[in-house]
Amino acid sequence: MSLVVDAVQATIGASEPWPDDVILYQQYQVEQITLPDYAQCLAVETFLHMCGLRFRVEQRTNAEEMSPSGKVPFIQVGPYLVSEFDPVVGFVSTKGFNLSQSLSDTERSEMRAYISMIENILGNAELYMAWLYPDIAAEVTKPRYGCCYPWPLSWILPWRKQREVRARLEANDWASKTCEEVCGEVRTCCQALSERLEKKKYFFGDKPTELDAMVFGHLYTLLTTILPGGHFTAVVQDFDNLAQFCKRIEDSFFKLAFD
Amino acid sequence: MGTVHAKAPTVDSQPSGLKTSSVSGDNKKNDVYVKFDKLPVRVQRVVVDGLTRTKDDVVIKEIKPLLGAKTFDELVQLSYNAKVKMERLGLFKNVVIAIDVSKDKAEHGYEVMFEVQEFRQIDGGIHTTISNNDGSLDFQVKAPNMMGRGERFSLDYTLGTKRTHGYSAYFRKPLNNNPDIFVGCTGYQFHGEFPWSGYKQTDRGMAFDLTFPTFLGSHNLQWEGVWRDLRALSRDTSFSVREQAGHSLKSSLKHTFSIDSRNNPVLPSVGALWQTSQIFQVSFAGGIMRTLDPRASICISDRFFLGGPLTLRGFNMKGCGPHSHDNALGAESYWLAAAHVYSPLPFRPGRGRFGDLFKTHFFVNAGNLGTIDFNNLSASFNDMFTTLRWSYGFGIVLCMGNLARLELNYVIPMRVQKGDKANPGLQFGIGVQFL
Repeated sequence: MSLVVDAVQATIGASEPWPDDVILYQQYQVEQITLPDYAQCLAVETFLHMCGLRFRVEQRTNAEEMSPSGKVPFIQVGPYLVSEFDPVVGFVSTKGFNLSQSLSDTERSEMRAYISMIENILGNAELYMAWLYPDIAAEVTKPRYGCCYPWPLSWILPWRKQREVRARLEANDWASKTCEEVCGEVRTCCQALSERLEKKKYFFGDKPTELDAMVFGHLYTLLTTILPGGHFTAVVQDFDNLAQFCKRIEDSFFKLAFD
Repeated sequence: MGTVHAKAPTVDSQPSGLKTSSVSGDNKKNDVYVKFDKLPVRVQRVVVDGLTRTKDDVVIKEIKPLLGAKTFDELVQLSYNAKVKMERLGLFKNVVIAIDVSKDKAEHGYEVMFEVQEFRQIDGGIHTTISNNDGSLDFQVKAPNMMGRGERFSLDYTLGTKRTHGYSAYFRKPLNNNPDIFVGCTGYQFHGEFPWSGYKQTDRGMAFDLTFPTFLGSHNLQWEGVWRDLRALSRDTSFSVREQAGHSLKSSLKHTFSIDSRNNPVLPSVGALWQTSQIFQVSFAGGIMRTLDPRASICISDRFFLGGPLTLRGFNMKGCGPHSHDNALGAESYWLAAAHVYSPLPFRPGRGRFGDLFKTHFFVNAGNLGTIDFNNLSASFNDMFTTLRWSYGFGIVLCMGNLARLELNYVIPMRVQKGDKANPGLQFGIGVQFL
C-alpha cells in the first residue's frame, strides 16, 4: 500500500522543481540519535549533497514518530514526505537528479547488489552492536534513546525498542551470532568494498553514485562513533583505502557545506 | 427492598413481653393492641444466615448497634439501617430481616435473623454505551465483594464504532465500612482515532482516586498518570498535526465536585415559562487552559474543539476554529452558549406514552474558540466575542431512557469564520453531552 502511495506521490511530485525549503528531519545528533539511525541519516544527507540539492537539517526529538514509515530520516518537499534511503533516491530521480545515469546496466545492477549487501550486513551489524551487545546497549544506546523522555518513559521506550530490534534480528538469524562473528561479517563486507574501490576516487570512477553515499553514511559512522569496545572502528580502520575514501567524501561534500 | 417480618402474636402462645404491654380487653377479647414505640426489647441473639465469603468483622460492625435497641420501634429501625448499609457497601444482593421472640422465652427477649444473599463470585455483562456521535460495546467481568469487605474489582473491554478500543481494570474499596468514602485504583489502555484532527492516540495510564462526601456534595480527588502515544492517522494528515506525533506523559490531579439534584438529566427543565408547557432553557459552557511552564506547548489531544450536532449546531463535528489541511487543530480556550425553547409535538400524538419522549425545540447557539493572551486579557476577551460563530434552527429531540439524546435539526449558520466547516441544513446528532 505504502509503496503504491510512494510511487504515486513521486510521480505527482515530479512535475514540480526542487523547492527552496526542503527539510530533512532527524533526531538530535549530539544527545539522542542511535548508531544505526545516524548511519541512515548520514547516507541520505550525503546523497542529497552529492546531487547538489539544497536542504536543511532539522532536529526533532520525535522525528521517528513523525516519519510516515516510522523510520528516520525523512524529507519534507513541499507537501510530500519521503522517508528512508531508497524512496528518497526514487523521489529525487523523478525531479531529474540521478547519480547513476551514466552507468551501464551491468554496473547499475552491480551497484544495487553492493547497496543491498551494505543494508543487510552493515545495517544488521549496527543494530546488533547498538542494541544487543550488552555493554553498548546499557551504557550508550538505551540512555540516548530515552534521554528526552521523563521517567518512566525513559525506561519503557528504550526497552520496547530493544525488544523490537531483538525480534527483528532473531527473525533473520543475527541475534544468535557472537560478537566475533558479527565483526567477521563486517570484515567480509569491508573486504568486498575495499576490493571494488581499489585506488579509484569513487566506486564507479570519477563521479559519486548512490553507493558512495551509502558506504560513506555507514563507514563514517562506524569510524567516528566511539563505543565501548570499539570493535567496528578497529575493523574498518584496517582498510586504508576505505578510511581515505571517507576522509575524501567528508572533505568534498561536508567541509563545504559546513563552511 | 427486603421485608421486615414480625410474628403476629396469637392468643395461645402470647409471649410474656406482649402480655404486659397495653392490652385493652374492652372491645374484643382476641384483639391485641401493641404500642411498638413503647414496647421494651432486649435483643438476645442476632443470626446472620448465608455468609460465605463476607468477613465476619464487617458484618459484626454493622450488626452491633442492634444490641443496644431499647424499644421495638428502635429495633426495626436499626435492623433496617444495617440492611441498607450492608447493601450499599456491596456486601449482599439482598437482605431479608426476620424479628422473632427469643426461644428461651426470656422477658422482652428477641432475636433478629438476617437472611443474606451474597453476590456471585464472578459476574459479567455486555452492554452498549452511547457517547457523542459514537457508540460502543462494553464487555465487563466483575467480582463484587471480592475479598469479603465490599471491595469491587472489574475488567472492561470496550469496542467502539469509530475504531476505538480499550481495556481497563478497576478496583475500589470502601474505607472504614463507609459506603460513601472509598479509594479506587485503575489501570487502562485505550486506543482512539480522531479523524477531524487526523491523528490516532493510544493512552496507557493509571489513576488513584479518593471519594468522600461533605455536607455540600460529593468530592472526588484523583491523580492520573497517562502515557500517550500520538500518531498521524494517514499520509494526508497535515504537518502541523504530524509534528506533535510521539510519546508524552501527562500527570494530572483532578478534583471533581458533584451535587446531583436533577430530576431528569437529558431534558432538564429550568422553570416553565409559558403555560402551554414550553420550556425555556439557557446554558453556557466555557474553558481556558494554560500551561504551568511557559515554554511548554499544549498537546493537540488536550485542546478544546468546538462544533457538532449537539454543541455548536450548524457546524461539522469539531468543525470550528483553525484547521490545517482539513485537520482541526483546536484552541486553548472556548465558550459556548445555547438557548432552547422546548415544546411538545404538535397535536400531541402518543400523549402520555411514547409521544412524551419527543419534543420539538427552537434554538440559538453561539460560541467561539481561540487563544487567550494572558498579558492582554481585555483584548483577548474582546476578540473572543467579536469573532463569534452563531447559528439557529429548529428540530425534534428524542430522549432515550434518560441517558442519550437524539436530535434531528434544521440549522442555519449565521456567522462563520474563515477555516470553519459549516453544515447548514439538516443535521442529525446523538450523544450524552449537549448544550
